[in-house]
Order: sequence, then structure tokens, then C-alpha cells
Amino acid sequence: MLSKRDRVGLRVQEAVSHAMVLLTYPWLWAWMRWRGYRIPGLSRVRAEFEAQAGREPGPLLVCANHMTLVDSLVIQWAFGSAWRLLLVPRAFFWNLPDRANLSRRTWIRVLGYVGKCIPVVRKASPEETRRTLDKIGYLHGRGQSILVFPEGGRSRIGRVDTENFSYGVGRMIQDTPGIRVLAVFARGAGQHEFSDYPRDGERFVIRLRRLAPVTSSAGMRGARDLATQIVHALRDMEVEAFETAGVDR
Amino acid sequence: MDNATAFGKVVTIIKPFVKNAAALGSASDSTRIIEDLGVNSARLVDIILAFEDEFGIEVDDESADKVRTLGDAVQMIVLKTAPAH
Repeated sequence: MLSKRDRVGLRVQEAVSHAMVLLTYPWLWAWMRWRGYRIPGLSRVRAEFEAQAGREPGPLLVCANHMTLVDSLVIQWAFGSAWRLLLVPRAFFWNLPDRANLSRRTWIRVLGYVGKCIPVVRKASPEETRRTLDKIGYLHGRGQSILVFPEGGRSRIGRVDTENFSYGVGRMIQDTPGIRVLAVFARGAGQHEFSDYPRDGERFVIRLRRLAPVTSSAGMRGARDLATQIVHALRDMEVEAFETAGVDR
Repeated sequence: MDNATAFGKVVTIIKPFVKNAAALGSASDSTRIIEDLGVNSARLVDIILAFEDEFGIEVDDESADKVRTLGDAVQMIVLKTAPAH
């Protein structure tokens, strides 16, 4: 059960983030332009997101592959304009970055706060993990959308890692029965291995697919089943992207 | 099941997940599974599920969260496999 302090903290962060979106989003847009990043077929990607998950209300778990520190920014940019995020708060995803990455500089922490980030601790204690899961459950209970990386970190093998991944995403699904799950494959066309940032001028390939992971098991075994289905779906989307979208291998 | 038997089986189950094999060679009850043996925290779930399969027990989340050392694992297994009175 999430403490009142945590609940109020999340509500305040949500309000501040929403109020600031017309400042933060242009910053994101300008930064993407400055780096020369592009998403070919951006309007098609946004329309596909709306068709698959955007229009329908209710909690949404967006599960993406992970190669760089800015994947969440790229995905947020891919799925919504500033106006969309302003008018539909749930289209502005919560994120769960590694606290170590978010604590590097004060301005990064501020951006993280207004960017709806909930810092998480790697190798956290069970109590801390439970608290994070309770925060996620609380936000999902309020119909919010959360972006997670089921691999638990940037893949060290240059591909979706189907061997070393976290089962936390399975616990999130168990905590919110009926939650919608959207798998997102996002990768720079020239991204060969994990890095802090994509190369300048990168062109991103985005694929998305609604999933309905199911398991007959409960507890940890069920969480593992669910997480495995999601990571394998991401791996299949990656294979498809390699074959059809001109992504460098 | 006695502690020594359980300890041997626990070490056998954990071995494939261990990154620090030297630490496993001199492991004791106080050896920490994640910190000392270098087991990935996500793989701890696989280890707990392997305990369930090997010993025919059920481990709830709360009990699993308490397993931090080899001794914790042994204690849990010995308790859960003890015949009911």
C-alpha cells in the first residue's frame, strides 16, 4: 500500500509536469532537431499509436527495447505532439529511469521531474522494489500510461536480450489486471550497440504491437511467464525490423 | 532434510547463475547471493523457482524477498520441507 506522502508526491509531480508540457516539449523537439534526429513516417507512427492504444482510456503499459539513455524521449516524441500531451495527460508517459543516471546533474533531475520520471534504484531492496511497484500500481489505477524497458537496462548484446531480462514488468501486469500492454520497438537505423546517445543525424525505426500476455501461473512464476512473452515479442519485432526497415545489423 | 544436505543442493542450484565462482568455492551460510556471488538480481527469481521445483515447495513473494544469503535459503527450505506435526 502506497503511503499518503508518495501518493501526494505523484499527484503534485503529475500536475507540475502537465503544467510545464508546453515548455518541456519544445525543448525536447529542439534538442531532437539539434541532434539531427528524425523519425521517418512520424505522422503514420502517431496515427498507429492512436489506433492501437491512444484513443482508448485506461491504464497502459508501454514496453520497449532499450539501447540508449534517450529511448524514452524518442518514444514520447514518436507518439504525441505537445498539444496531444497537453490535452490528453495520459499520453504523456511516466518513466522509470535508473536513479544513478538521473542524479548526474541538477538540471537533469529537474528535467526528470517535469518529464514524469520516477527514479528507480538498481539492485534495490525488496522493500524499495515493492514501493516502486506500488507507485506504478497507483498510477495505473489512475488510468495513467507508463513506459518501461523490460530488459531492465540497455541491452549489452546489441539486440533484444532474451536471456538476461528482468521480470518486473510481469509483476506490473499482475498488479493491474486487464491492463493494456503495448510493445514498442525503437532503434536508430545505425545503432549497432548500446550507447548513451544515438549518433547525430540518426533515423529511428519505430514499430508497435498490442500484446495480450497471459499465464496460468501466479506469483513469481507468472511474472516470469508474462515478462518472457513481452521480451520475445520485442525480439520478433526486432527481427522484422531488420528484415524490412533497413536497420543496420 | 538437514542443513548440510540442503546447503549442498542450494549450491548446486545456484552454481549456473554465479559470476564469482571463487566465492562459491568458499561459500558459507553468511555468503550473500547477490553481493558476494555476483548473481544478477533478476536471476534470483529463477533460483527461487528452481528451489520450488527441486524441493516441491511453494515460496511466496514475502519469503522470497527474505532470501539474501545461502543460509537464508537453507533455512527456508529446511522449514518448508519439514514434516508437519
